[in-house]
Amino acid sequence: MKALAEVKQVQKNVDEFKLGPVSLAIEAGTITALVGTNGSGKSTLLKLMMNQAKADAGNIKIHNMFVNGLNEEWKTHIAYQPQTMIGWDAFSGKALREFIAPLYPAWDDQQFNDIIQAFSVPLNKRFGKLSQGMQQKLILALTVARNTSILLLDEPTAFMDIPSKQKFIDLLIEWIESGDRAIVMSTHQVDDIMKLADYLCVLQEGKWMGTYEKETIQHMYCQFWMRDALPTESLPGEVSREGNQFITSKPEAMEAYMREHDLHCVNQKTLDLEESLSLLLNK
Amino acid sequence: MELPISLSKTSREPIYHQIENQIKALIAGGYLKAGSPLPSIRLMAKDLETSVITIRRAYQNLEYQGFIQTEQGKGTFVAEVANEKKQQIKVTAVYQAFESALDVALSYEYTVDQVKEIFAEVIESRKPKGDA
Repeated sequence: MKALAEVKQVQKNVDEFKLGPVSLAIEAGTITALVGTNGSGKSTLLKLMMNQAKADAGNIKIHNMFVNGLNEEWKTHIAYQPQTMIGWDAFSGKALREFIAPLYPAWDDQQFNDIIQAFSVPLNKRFGKLSQGMQQKLILALTVARNTSILLLDEPTAFMDIPSKQKFIDLLIEWIESGDRAIVMSTHQVDDIMKLADYLCVLQEGKWMGTYEKETIQHMYCQFWMRDALPTESLPGEVSREGNQFITSKPEAMEAYMREHDLHCVNQKTLDLEESLSLLLNK
Repeated sequence: MELPISLSKTSREPIYHQIENQIKALIAGGYLKAGSPLPSIRLMAKDLETSVITIRRAYQNLEYQGFIQTEQGKGTFVAEVANEKKQQIKVTAVYQAFESALDVALSYEYTVDQVKEIFAEVIESRKPKGDA
């Protein structure tokens, strides 16, 4: 498959904080979620991809062009929605559209209007007077309408209400299906991850824990409830234990162990995404 | 168009396998008729809260086994499936249900004779009333 963006062994140090080395290949047709606790480096990684921060090591390519190279044509292929917009408060949505649209040769006014209508964004009100949720919707319209092949979104639904989040999901699905496109988004919303993400790039305090297929994380840990007290020795793949219950990362090895030691399990289940992510991030 | 598929995310059976089997069951049971369209891979991934990678794998397996077909640029459709093949799926599903019931009984240390007895009782209890 075609890689639209490539992050290779990128590192960035900001004061005490160290991000990476992190690598990421963004293929057409895929949605990658950046997940991790607050301050784990998700926003920094997005800024690096936009060349708004300089990497200390490694390199980043968008459409096969280095983002720190002389050729800046890559900028027409990627649209970025940061968490906050500085200097926008005094302007109305209408004015912002007039500033931004001419900068993007492929600007899709129909798309812009569709999003504005779907979310009922008032275009005549000043940005600073809009609620945070409404601001996010306006920024989204101004980002998606750039009609690029890559979208980078930094916590795009953090302030949205429940029906808006559903509309957001449907909108991104329609957007990605209409071409060779890809999305990278940082999010804390389980629904965004469950309904949109194919891959999860997991960061913890700047350390890259890996990029997994969503299903891999969903099958990473298994919980067993045992009939009798657990043996005192460490069990295969044991992650944690409490009473007669324990969690393992190696269910097959555990089952073999149970047969061998004549242990009886009352019930077992695979941990869901939220539980698995919490375990992965608290390691 | 959302398909009536419900996955067990806590089961160890791979998700793509669950999807594959449930689509086969929908075809065998007549809910999905030959020629009817299936949701796009991306929509299906959203509805079932899984990834496009998993859906693509399930669709590829189903296509390989002749249950669905993809037409370039048009989408994915239910294929013409022979009645014997549909019958086979139903038979397999019934066998699997009995096998897993038997596994439960054996894990509680029932003997095969006791299981037979229980089976006879269940059948008896399901008979319509007044049926001598």
